[in-house]
This record gives sequence, C-alpha cells and structure tokens, in this order.
Amino acid sequence: MTVIEFSDWLSATPASQFIQVTTWIIPAVQTVHILALALLFASALMVDLRVLGTGLRSESLQSVADRFIPTIWPCLLVLLVTGSLLIVAEPGRTLGNPAFYLKMTCLAAAIIVTLWLRAFARGSRPIGGLASLLAVVSLLLWGTIIVAGRYIAYIESN
Amino acid sequence: MIKTFCEWLQDTAFAQSISETWFPMVESAHVIALALVAGTIFIVDLRLAGLASRQLRFTQLSDQVLPWTWRAFLLAALTGGMLFAANAMTYYDNVPFRAKMVLLVLAGLNMAYFQFVTFRSVAQWDAGQAPPAARFAGFASLVLWTAVVACGRWVGFV
Repeated sequence: MTVIEFSDWLSATPASQFIQVTTWIIPAVQTVHILALALLFASALMVDLRVLGTGLRSESLQSVADRFIPTIWPCLLVLLVTGSLLIVAEPGRTLGNPAFYLKMTCLAAAIIVTLWLRAFARGSRPIGGLASLLAVVSLLLWGTIIVAGRYIAYIESN
Repeated sequence: MIKTFCEWLQDTAFAQSISETWFPMVESAHVIALALVAGTIFIVDLRLAGLASRQLRFTQLSDQVLPWTWRAFLLAALTGGMLFAANAMTYYDNVPFRAKMVLLVLAGLNMAYFQFVTFRSVAQWDAGQAPPAARFAGFASLVLWTAVVACGRWVGFV
C-alpha cells in the first residue's frame, strides 16, 4: 500500500469523515497542540538556558533538569495524540508532505538530545562544551519542529 | 477611523510584500514566540496556583523566567503586527481576532493588578503557598492565555 492509498483509505474512514464535517474539531485540537508545545518548548528552554549559564543559576543543573524534563514527556504525549488526530482529519495534507517528515526526523533527534541532556544533568561532570552544544542543538531542533509544523500548511503534498 | 487605518495599512508596500512573500516565515516566528510567551507564563502561573515548582521561591522562578516572557512577547507583538498588516481588513472584521485583542488586554490587566497590588506582599509568601489573590491571578492567567491561543487559532477558521 502506498502512502497515497493509505491517505485515501484513512480519509474515507468514519473517524476522519466525522472530523471533516465537524468544523470546530480541527481548530480545537490545534489549540491543544499549541498549548502543549508551548509548555514543552518553554520547559526545554529552561534546561537549555541553565546549561548555557543564562538562566536559573540559583539552582543546580540537576534540579532544573529534574523539574522541567519530566514536564516534557506528558506534553509530548498530548502532542502525539493531537497530532495523530490532525493526520486522521486531513491525511492527504500531511502524509505526503516533506515538511512533516522533516518535523518527525527532528522530533526523533530532539528526544535523543533531551535524554542525553538528562543523563548529563544526573552525572557529576562539570558543564562543558558538549553540554552547551547539546543545549544549542536542542533549541534549534525544537524551533525547526515548530517551523516545519507550520510549513505543512504551505508546502504542497506529493 | 480604525477601518480607514486598516485600509491604508493593508495597501502599503510593506504589508503587500509580507502578504505576497513573507507571510509563512513571519507566521512561523510568531508561533515560536507565542509558544515561549504562553509556555513561560504557564510555568509561573502553575507555581502561583500551587500546582508546580513548589520547592522554589516564587521570586526565584519569576525573576529568571519572566524576562524571557517579555523578550518573546516583544517578538510575538512585532510578528503579530506584521501578520495583521498583511490582511488588515480581513482581521478587522474577524470576530476571533477581536476577541483575542480583548483577551490580551484582560491578561494585561490581570498581570498589572498582580504586579502592583498582590505582589507587594510577596515577602510573606515567597517560599510557601501563595495567598488566594495570587492563586486566582495564576488561574486567571492560565485561562486567559489558553483563550488567547484558541482565538488566535480560530482567526484562520472563520
């Protein structure tokens, strides 16, 4: 089954049809998606700024990471659920879209970088070049994820 | 008066170049900015409401998080202004857009009342649970910013 066949099948399912005719569902789901990404992105920012030495310096990196990284996972779950609903609603718009695949690739990388930062924060090594690099890469990845997400609406699906 | 201004604004070369070329990029920057505004405010609101970061003194959190809220808000206002200019007449007549502006004012009033009245007694509750007025401000802010994001999303759906 090709992606296009899968999209066509998915958009013909009752669940997809229901979302397509109930016009308030898509903006409502997108609103929840944005709120969850806001909390996730701000939490990641707090950890990254602490690593870079410009935020929450009154606390150790470990306690900043222990406070904010656990916020990231439930937000990610909400994002995956709402994101999946948006795909079910409009499969053709997303599944053939290069911006969507860029977003998912960056997401996988961002999860790995976040786990790596968590492991670093739990260790006893002083913050150095590697941790700073991870923090910068983390911010770039989450930023790219947001931009690519918005560009799904502007780039033509194949 | 406002309508005449919107007509003039939309016809400027600046507004037309956004509308024709820059809109997706400016919109992406707007999403990044609003995510940081909402996310960082939520972190502070959740502390006020007594739902998160309870081991941290309130001012310790707010002093280090809120400067980022303001930076992000400046970017959100700038990019939001540019998006508005691109389609000023459409947004002028758009109910969710008007609701969003009213909600932003309410969020500002809530913040001003908290800052100039409730916050003056912070020395008494900085380390512990915030008093009812401060908890109310936190909950009100969560609700108002959620509504701002929802209205922003609905602008494109009516």
